[in-house]
Amino acid sequence: MTAPPPGTDGPGPDADALLTALAGVFTAPDGERVPVERVALGPERLAGLPAAGGSGVLVPDDAQLAVLVPGATAGLVVVDREDPGGATALVTRVPVDRTHLVAAEAVVTATDGLRSALAALRAEAAVIDALQSVGRRLTAQLDIDQLVQEATDAATTAVGAAFGAFFYNLINQFGESYTLYTLSGVPREAFSRFPMPRNTLVFAPTFDGEGTVRSDDITADPRFGRNAPYRGMPEGHLPVSSYLAVSVISPTSGEVLGGFFFGHPGRARFTSRHEYLAEGIAGYSAIALDNAQLYERERNFTRELSRSMLPEAPAVPGLDVVTRYLPAATGHKIGGDWFDVIPLDGGGTAIVIGDVVGHGVTAATIMGQVRTAIRAYAVLGLAPSDVLRYVSALLETFAEPTFVTCFYAVLRPDEGLVYANAGHLPAVLRRADGTIEQLGEAMAQPLGVGRAFSERSAGFPPGADLLLYTDGLVESRTRDLTQGIEWLLEAVAALPRPVTAAACDDLVASLTGGVHDDDVALVHVHRADGAAP
Amino acid sequence: MTGRGSVDGDPFEDEPAGSVALDEVPEGIVLAVSGALDLALAPTVRRSVERAARLRPALLVLDLTAVTFLASSGMAELVRTHRQLGGEIPVRVVATGRLVLRPLELTRLTDELAIHATLADALAAG
Repeated sequence: MTAPPPGTDGPGPDADALLTALAGVFTAPDGERVPVERVALGPERLAGLPAAGGSGVLVPDDAQLAVLVPGATAGLVVVDREDPGGATALVTRVPVDRTHLVAAEAVVTATDGLRSALAALRAEAAVIDALQSVGRRLTAQLDIDQLVQEATDAATTAVGAAFGAFFYNLINQFGESYTLYTLSGVPREAFSRFPMPRNTLVFAPTFDGEGTVRSDDITADPRFGRNAPYRGMPEGHLPVSSYLAVSVISPTSGEVLGGFFFGHPGRARFTSRHEYLAEGIAGYSAIALDNAQLYERERNFTRELSRSMLPEAPAVPGLDVVTRYLPAATGHKIGGDWFDVIPLDGGGTAIVIGDVVGHGVTAATIMGQVRTAIRAYAVLGLAPSDVLRYVSALLETFAEPTFVTCFYAVLRPDEGLVYANAGHLPAVLRRADGTIEQLGEAMAQPLGVGRAFSERSAGFPPGADLLLYTDGLVESRTRDLTQGIEWLLEAVAALPRPVTAAACDDLVASLTGGVHDDDVALVHVHRADGAAP
Repeated sequence: MTGRGSVDGDPFEDEPAGSVALDEVPEGIVLAVSGALDLALAPTVRRSVERAARLRPALLVLDLTAVTFLASSGMAELVRTHRQLGGEIPVRVVATGRLVLRPLELTRLTDELAIHATLADALAAG
């Protein structure tokens, strides 16, 4: 705690006012006021006096008085709080009665009460400060692992525990609950041999959210040691006497998210203040955990949504199709990438890849609509340029302007490839002889922007490969697009035949260095040798 | 203890974030964009364009000279600006170097946007 600024919120009256008032109470036995001298005392002359505890009035005994001011008959010392080294003695050299002593006692009594009240207030303020700073830090944290560790460390320090643990429940992707824990003050090995604490009599109130448990000596608690197999702490457990446990309860669902447990080998270490602090940190932890879990849920939801919208490519006679969809390695930038393989009447197959600008649920839902629209137009048998034109017009009717790149190709065994490209990256054609060509570079503007889409065709005989991909494969904030495409062309030329899913994963890994900060989708189509219908 | 909570663990988060500066010049307003013009910076560009538009400039120039990465979300903002303001306020784009030009070429936005090689050109062009 820091010293209060001078003269603002001291416990007693201002030292000068006190001196003036006290000087007026020295009275002779006949009740008349007597002359009083003020003598300034340096720190060295205060040494023999009883501790003043900051500011206040001291009553020196006769011996002390004789040393302080030789010849004085009575005296009081007023310690100036604003000048820690200094004090002033009020002395008189004539006989006096006890009035000044009564007055001094009254001052001491009055200011002592104030002083302890002030100390208590300051301690409260320190607790609130500590809680607030922990709260601010915790509620800004969305990473669950880091959050729980910070909370455990902060709470263990705040309550002065020898060690602390935080057991918390999480829900996995299958909706099943599981429990993890963090520790503070002890290495993890200290607990690794023990099973997870169960809902025993001691732990139940915490896991059931029934309230805080604080014990000066938990081993003396009637609830302690009632459960097999250990009947108390397992052998090798750190010694615990003082025990404090607080539930962490979700403010939104009222569900018990976990519990903080604090231990100390000494008795009676935890006070009501510690309990208050622990409950405060538990409250902030609950909010933070709620936030982190909601964030996690939203992220999983978006990821699942994008994933569920991606079709399984159907088996197409005569074609070997490999599709990959890799969400951004960084997790939160779920893009609107998609692909599709659509069997058409008359033996044709539409191959589609695209990318909706943006991320999250908005991009994913636009992607779903665009994909469905393309499927619908595709099965009508429209030409690639018409499919893109209709979809682009459709997008212009959306409330929010949107921007979707899309490569649309139709493959027919007797006609080869007919394709159109709405601002998407060019496709890569690898012929049977290994020569590489890019198809559809800069043919038209994206969907939602362009109104006219041209169409081109290319041969696609048995043995040829076609690769469609999204921008996450070739560009990032640290990879120049032009360079990325060159590297891709080299990598495609080196792809083994037949191209497998594993080979495509290797291609992605080698081009992105394993860290793609955007989604990557790709479709690889190989026309099987001589198997064309 | 950690400082600001990191939300994403983005491996590129150490890179300086992109920025947009609004400059009023005699010819109009220049929005100088620097860094990666991607999903993270696009909303800032949009707000800056709205702010610039309220000032009713005679000309709005989006200067992408210092842009190091132009993502599709950035290009979408360029198109939005051009289409929303183009009727009333001429919008020009300064783009130089393949980092910015190549994505604009692949999406054929070069057909629609008024692209200039330097800021001086963009300000001088009739």
